[in-house]
Amino acid sequence: MHGMSLIVKSITRLVAGFIAIFGVYTVFYGHVSPGGGFAGGVIVAGAMVLIVLAFGEEFSRKVIPHGTAKVSDALGAMGFLAVALFGYMAGGFFVNFLPRGEPGTLFSAGTIPISNLAIGVKVGAGLFCVFLALALFRRPGERQNGLTRGQPDRGALEGEEL
Amino acid sequence: MTLTMLPYLLAFILLVVGLYAIVAKRNVIKIIVGLAILDYAVNLILVLVGYRATKGAPPMAPILTGGMANEPALVAGAVDPLPQALVLTSIVISLSVTALVVAIGLRLYEKYGTFDTQRMRNLRG
Repeated sequence: MHGMSLIVKSITRLVAGFIAIFGVYTVFYGHVSPGGGFAGGVIVAGAMVLIVLAFGEEFSRKVIPHGTAKVSDALGAMGFLAVALFGYMAGGFFVNFLPRGEPGTLFSAGTIPISNLAIGVKVGAGLFCVFLALALFRRPGERQNGLTRGQPDRGALEGEEL
Repeated sequence: MTLTMLPYLLAFILLVVGLYAIVAKRNVIKIIVGLAILDYAVNLILVLVGYRATKGAPPMAPILTGGMANEPALVAGAVDPLPQALVLTSIVISLSVTALVVAIGLRLYEKYGTFDTQRMRNLRG
């Protein structure tokens, strides 16, 4: 993948940051408004997919290294598990251990915003990894996009590490 | 049949369209699209089951806005949140299923060079 035309690149440069910020907003306000961890994570993943499609794989590797996506994927799951296990401080699995706050405000609802954050990180990174696996990685020797048989491309080598 | 059953009928028509695409189409991509339509039809039926008609006022989403003072209005007017939580899980599962099916479709295309399921065979002759 070598990126798309100048128009697509310019629009992506303008828009991708706003899409990512809207995704983060959806994650953080998941307990008081429609949205939440999954929806926000999908929006963040959409911004990253847009960068990969517009600028090509080489550039996107500088913005979001694939190792970072992989580690974030694992960290999201571990964070959600940590929120569940910290509930034992208050008496049980998934029990709220934070002050509840006033309902309807941003700093409220105890552990739910932290769970939303963990789910958002997990979904965003996981969906981005799924896209990378579908779009970039090829097994060596496969015929795809004009590659000749028996010639392993760059993605095949990277496929080992993700 | 009363008019209130009309959304159910339309959702079932959507479900049958998805099922038809899965069963009758030969292109792998069309089968995947049919699977997605089937997913959304099932989600739509589940959300419709949770609908609750309120007299006079329009139905509310089960989300508390504007502080605890609005809680009685929410309890009186909101639709059932349980099917919506179920549908959220269902959407996540259908996303995973779609990713898996697309990966299998890509591998099939790489192996056979076609998306036609009837031309995918190892024996030639």
